[in-house]
Amino acid sequence: MSEPRTGVFICNCGTNIANVIDVEAVRAFALTVPGVTVARTYRYVCSKPGQEMIIKDIKEHALDRVVVAACSPRMHEKTFRKACQAAGLNPYMLEMANIREQCAWPHVDGLAATEKALALTSAAIFRVRQQEPLEGLTAEMCPTTLVLGGGIAGMTAALELADGGHPVVLVEKAERLGGNLARVDLTAPYLDSARDLITERITRVQGSSKIKLMLRSQLKSLTGFVGNFDAEIVTDGGGEATARLGNVIVATGYKEFDAARVTHFGYGKLPNVITSFELEKMLTAGRIETREDRKPQYVAIIHCVGSRSAEFHGYCSRVCCMTAIKYAQEIKSAVPSCHVLDIYIDMNAFGKGQEDFYKRGSEAKTMFLMFGKNDYPFIRKADAKDDCDMLLVMDEQLSGKRIEIPADLVVLMVGMEARADSGEVAHLVNISRDKDGWFIESHPKLDPVATTTDGIYIAGCCAAPKDIPDSVAQARAAAARIMGRIAKGKIEIEAVYAEVDEDFCSGCRMCNELCPYSAIEYDEEKKRSHVISAVCKACGACVAACPSGAIKARHFTDKQIFAEIEGVLA
Amino acid sequence: MTATVRVNPKLISELQSYGAEDVQNCYHCGNCSAACPYSSEPFILPRMSTRLLQMGLEESLRGNLEPWLCYYCGQCSDQCPRDAEPGATMMSLRRWLTGRYDFTGIARRFYRSWKIELAALIIVALLTGAGLLAYGFLWGGGNLSVFDTGGGQSAFLPAGAIHVVDWVLGLMFITVVLVNMARMWHFTMHAEDIPRASAGAYLRHALLFPLHFFTQKRWAKCDNNMPWLTHLPLMLGYLTMLVLIMFFLEPFQDGPAIDWKLHTLGYLATAGLLVGVWYAVRGRLKKNVPMYRHSHSTDWVFVLLLLAIVATGVLLHVLHRLGFGAAANLTYVAHMMVVVPWMMRFPFSKWSHMMYRPLAMYFAAIQTEALASQSPQLQGGAEDELAPVAEAA
Repeated sequence: MSEPRTGVFICNCGTNIANVIDVEAVRAFALTVPGVTVARTYRYVCSKPGQEMIIKDIKEHALDRVVVAACSPRMHEKTFRKACQAAGLNPYMLEMANIREQCAWPHVDGLAATEKALALTSAAIFRVRQQEPLEGLTAEMCPTTLVLGGGIAGMTAALELADGGHPVVLVEKAERLGGNLARVDLTAPYLDSARDLITERITRVQGSSKIKLMLRSQLKSLTGFVGNFDAEIVTDGGGEATARLGNVIVATGYKEFDAARVTHFGYGKLPNVITSFELEKMLTAGRIETREDRKPQYVAIIHCVGSRSAEFHGYCSRVCCMTAIKYAQEIKSAVPSCHVLDIYIDMNAFGKGQEDFYKRGSEAKTMFLMFGKNDYPFIRKADAKDDCDMLLVMDEQLSGKRIEIPADLVVLMVGMEARADSGEVAHLVNISRDKDGWFIESHPKLDPVATTTDGIYIAGCCAAPKDIPDSVAQARAAAARIMGRIAKGKIEIEAVYAEVDEDFCSGCRMCNELCPYSAIEYDEEKKRSHVISAVCKACGACVAACPSGAIKARHFTDKQIFAEIEGVLA
Repeated sequence: MTATVRVNPKLISELQSYGAEDVQNCYHCGNCSAACPYSSEPFILPRMSTRLLQMGLEESLRGNLEPWLCYYCGQCSDQCPRDAEPGATMMSLRRWLTGRYDFTGIARRFYRSWKIELAALIIVALLTGAGLLAYGFLWGGGNLSVFDTGGGQSAFLPAGAIHVVDWVLGLMFITVVLVNMARMWHFTMHAEDIPRASAGAYLRHALLFPLHFFTQKRWAKCDNNMPWLTHLPLMLGYLTMLVLIMFFLEPFQDGPAIDWKLHTLGYLATAGLLVGVWYAVRGRLKKNVPMYRHSHSTDWVFVLLLLAIVATGVLLHVLHRLGFGAAANLTYVAHMMVVVPWMMRFPFSKWSHMMYRPLAMYFAAIQTEALASQSPQLQGGAEDELAPVAEAA
């Protein structure tokens, strides 16, 4: 190997670095290291003139390696890789020394910080000497998408893709489309009919030539990687199908909280204590009556059943508050003589139109009564002399009074919870769940529909409780993300991934279990493991674990790591 | 733990007829109480009264002094993000309380139906007119004169006789008001969560009643002092006129010479009444002052009757002094046809607030003291708010 020609660029970061670290000392030191051709300091290396300086030096001094001593690579590694590429240098011939977050910012002693900066810069110069040009891979993108779940989110995603001209396999576990929304009468806050919202979608899904609809079906297995998945789908009654897929949208929805778990509400024992979904049924039928077929004079609605509680779920189910306000208005219009008592903890009226909707609930003379978190009302049968069937007793927060509430019908606003099979689904498509069982997104704010597994997207309530507009927005977002990738045609795979040297692999399969991304396949015939480079995230777990030393991580080779250590100690 | 109370969703609709239109809109942000110049421990105006009303806690509301501690400056309603009109709610509660205190039930009928009230007033007015005329024709032989005119014709119904009628009617209605005041005392001072006050406390604060009766000085806390400054001449004019009529009717009424010692007072009182009535009528028409923005039918009856009394009173005075005997006598009948219904209305209407308000100030001071001795954290509030008033007394 001929002597390397390395350029070292030291950033002042305005005063961020230069105020603590003697950047000139770093530059002088760099020039003493063998193989360094040029070393410079600059006010902002990431700026346009800074990048141009790097490009010019690469060309003028025929540099074959670049070290930038500046901020964290999370901040600007991409910027400098691009600059290298622009100068005709392979982007993987760059190494960064983090002298801002790791030196200038955490230390006050300038001398010691400068010493550390020298060590890190030295490590980067030593390491870059061992780096090799790398090229990324590309793979085909199959245009078919698998959508799991035929609720409002799943149907919307499927239609969005189908309307874009892409084939969809829509798998629904139940025997009908519509999901939980099909069990709802009107929707808050504009009181549109849920049936109208879904009927149109169902008709279009059923009539679409692009959508292969599979009812009473479930995903059995999913193998492969983004753009190249293979799915096995089973249908009740023994049908089995396979499909080649590019992407998957998981839209499996939620399950209602089981009200019987809250013992003090007497659900299942007191006949006129019902759940919100049971009331929806009455509203759809147009008959609001007690079990004794009487029109109720008092209807009490209790919020946060199963939600926001120490005992059950800590989270807010988001839709129940406005649904309760909707009930107040629907009940009042169906039975004008009826008094509605709304028993809540806080009123969450967060979205468009909801604050107005809440006010309309007040204007309908709903009596709002506030109870304390984890201090639930309890329900008992009323006495014969009372003009009601039940009495609720609670400490009312806004008056400080202990009160008794008459009720003929008690509606429990049951919250949402993760479906019982969410663990199974997560395992099948290799995504994670949070402590409550909801699927975890790639980034809660910036990447809410992708997951940590490339090609697997989540939409609707399977990710967390949400209302119809949010579910629909997520479904369309997931579809748009997929269409973007289909339009690109090919998938670019990062050049940094692990590789198994089959000559050294003993087939012990230790790495298979360890890989958090399920990126390692085992070839039964050859008795060797193999890394699917498109799925590998280069975390290095398998590299460290392999007892035969058969796995190498590209860009993180042993040679490179040891060189880095040598550099620090030099 | 206090006893369990039953909520009543029906009360809020009942209060609608007393003028509480928007109370259901309140969601208890508390901006009103932060804005209220009268709100301080242990009387958190107007949120707590609003809450009790929303929940239909009738007993607690009945024993609640807070509506009387509010002077409707409207700062609460201005701050309300939900147009719940807390000021109007407090006003309606004062009407409702007047109805609750009244043992006859007449006040409730008047508040809940303007037709019943109007019919009652007209009937009393007609009976009064008919009585006077019948008396004059049947027993007086057509002599309707109430004035001893210089022409030698002596009065058939002289001031002395009228005086007796005044006193009989006055005592009758004062008795009703006294009974209602006793009921107010019972409801508020014997409410469940109020500690019993000692006789000493009643004595210590006794001067608060006359102080607030004559000055309404608490009203000065409002940013806009005009309502108070116009109410004061109205109130003092009214009292002066009442004293002149009840104690000095004969020299005051007879003439035609003018007894300046008395009449100077009479003219001042008339001017005061006119200022007050003018401000109220103008305010209720223009709705430019928060307290006049929502007028109940009984409010209009109140100011219009007062206006009619002042107008007929002034007219009969002028006619009598100018020597138009017959016209003066007829105007006198008309005057009586307004005065009698007005007097009759006293215990059953807004009128009675002249007793309830100072009484509430008196009771509030006693309650504050009693509560403060029970819970030390209230002592700061008690000193800030009502103690200086007591000292001033």
